[in-house]
Amino acid sequence: MTISYRLRIGLTALFMLVALGLVAAALWLPSVPSDVDIMDGLFVLDVTDSMNVEDAVLDGEKVSRLVWAKEFTRRVFLEMPCGAHAGLAIFSEARALILMNPVEVCRNYNDLMQMLNTIEPSMAWVRSSEVSKAIYTAIRQANEITPKPTIIFMTDGHESPPVHESLFPKFQGTPGEIPGVIVGVGGKDLLPIPKTNEQGVIDGVWDVNDVMHVDVYASSRGDMADANARKPRTEHLSSQKTSHLETLASRVGFGFTSSPQSPERLYKTMRSHAKTRSITIDYDLYAWLSGIAFLLVALIFLPYQWLGNRKN
Amino acid sequence: MMLFGLQWDAAYWLLLLPLALLPWFNHNLDKTVAWVSLVPNDPVSRFISIFLKSMTTLAMASLLLALAAPEVPEKKVERLGEGAEIVLLLDRSRSMDDPFAVKTQAAAVSVGGDNSKRRIAKDYLTEFVRKRPDDRFGFVFFSTKSVNLLPLTYSKDATLATIAANALGKGLSDTNMADALLSSAKMFENQTYRGSRIVLLVSDGGQQLSEQAKTEIAALYQQENLSIYWIYLKSRVEMSLEPKPGESALWSDIPERKLHDFFQSIDVPYRAFEAGSLKSFADALDEIDRQQYQPLLVQETLPHEPKSDVFLWLALFALLILAASHTYSYWGVQKAHE
Repeated sequence: MTISYRLRIGLTALFMLVALGLVAAALWLPSVPSDVDIMDGLFVLDVTDSMNVEDAVLDGEKVSRLVWAKEFTRRVFLEMPCGAHAGLAIFSEARALILMNPVEVCRNYNDLMQMLNTIEPSMAWVRSSEVSKAIYTAIRQANEITPKPTIIFMTDGHESPPVHESLFPKFQGTPGEIPGVIVGVGGKDLLPIPKTNEQGVIDGVWDVNDVMHVDVYASSRGDMADANARKPRTEHLSSQKTSHLETLASRVGFGFTSSPQSPERLYKTMRSHAKTRSITIDYDLYAWLSGIAFLLVALIFLPYQWLGNRKN
Repeated sequence: MMLFGLQWDAAYWLLLLPLALLPWFNHNLDKTVAWVSLVPNDPVSRFISIFLKSMTTLAMASLLLALAAPEVPEKKVERLGEGAEIVLLLDRSRSMDDPFAVKTQAAAVSVGGDNSKRRIAKDYLTEFVRKRPDDRFGFVFFSTKSVNLLPLTYSKDATLATIAANALGKGLSDTNMADALLSSAKMFENQTYRGSRIVLLVSDGGQQLSEQAKTEIAALYQQENLSIYWIYLKSRVEMSLEPKPGESALWSDIPERKLHDFFQSIDVPYRAFEAGSLKSFADALDEIDRQQYQPLLVQETLPHEPKSDVFLWLALFALLILAASHTYSYWGVQKAHE
């Protein structure tokens, strides 16, 4: 198609005028308020001994479960948009301990990172790991925080001492009142658990005779002695307890994801379970306006004669 | 991406920069002339043509540079302020769940209520931190072990969120005072000396320290030039750090007094505040607030500064000329056709 010289000059003038108007708008148009949905996260990291098992895969390498959890927490911080809040907590014994209430993630990234880096197995105050109770306490404490955060609970699900199926600790709250996701960490195979000493330094592994293999209730009942004896004695070894975590998640109305492949995917899972809140941000339209202005000017000078029609 | 001292947030736009040269290779706007030699060689026209092409290139390049979102990255600058560097050492032991300053033993049984020492400490410390704009705060977490949870930071958000978190849930088992005191001092290790350095201990009990711990603590606190403030939250109003005549014999040998004696014996500025009521707690913090305004080097983060507007102004300037000239040519062509 050939455009007459007159029309070409006319269009050029028109495009230039429009582009001029757009650039002026980009300079002087005020920012538009726009609503974005964001979620606040409280990241609870398991710091019990079983998290020292090196069977989590990070960028193709085997690392300890805690290292994996810390690195994924960091990368999810980066996924979170500015304005969202993130907080940190650890879990040991039978409770979650909140270290920092959720704070705005961009301005406080540095402090969040400093704190995340200090999370070590040595922070565990007692050598036991009652995952279910810890989740309940996390929920109870999250209820006292405003705005109420979504809990991201990173654990391998290893209960020590073991829990009796019929005597599962009761959840007193309302399922789903505090949204959350349990993130299963660790591999499928049963592996020895590094043992930490008083100073939190790894010193050997937990031996078969160091731990309880049967829960307290069953072990105290004479009539269950036979059944107890038949139970496999594997509680000194650890793997990711997927089915246990799934049960737990459904009890408290959380989502469950087992060893997510990427932080992006984990963030998506979190978002799908989270209660979002909307915040208003000032959105500057300058990028759109100057983008269109550039396009208009470029359209004038694109080499059309090389695109087939050379009759020009 | 950093380029020319600017941070380019959307640097991929720069890949389109070669497009800005299109006007020099392209002839969309040329008029087809039957015989080129007929066109007179006019230096003024040549100059105008080159000038317009340059302006087009300038407009396109400026728009792309503006789109690449250049900004002066956030900067850290130091200024002289007034305040102190304060490490908060908040007791996390279970006894902090007990109610604060009750008059009788019987009243001390409700655990973890709103009047627990930990919650009250949180409320007052929050107010204290808010009042002090220039201070740098650190936070040491301590129970059986201690961790330098929040290294010295200017962020009030982070400090307040850590203090608030400390009031949630129940207390932890035990306290290891020696470890906590050493960790707090270590926060200042390898830091430039900026001004007054304080370890603010808020606890409801003391602890007997081993001789070795005492020597280490004394040495480290002198070396790092630290002051110790101890806000002692009394469980019982009449208990005091200094022996009083006629008091209960049970109190003559309590660990609090031993710790108090130790702090007094080392050559380090030390003040104890015995908070026996909400008012005395508030007074203690107010007094620290009054005393601790000494010159302090404050690091400030200047927010990043977008620089797109500079390029938009350039584009506006070029487009103004271009739009005017092309409108003029269109008017001329129109005229010729009439």
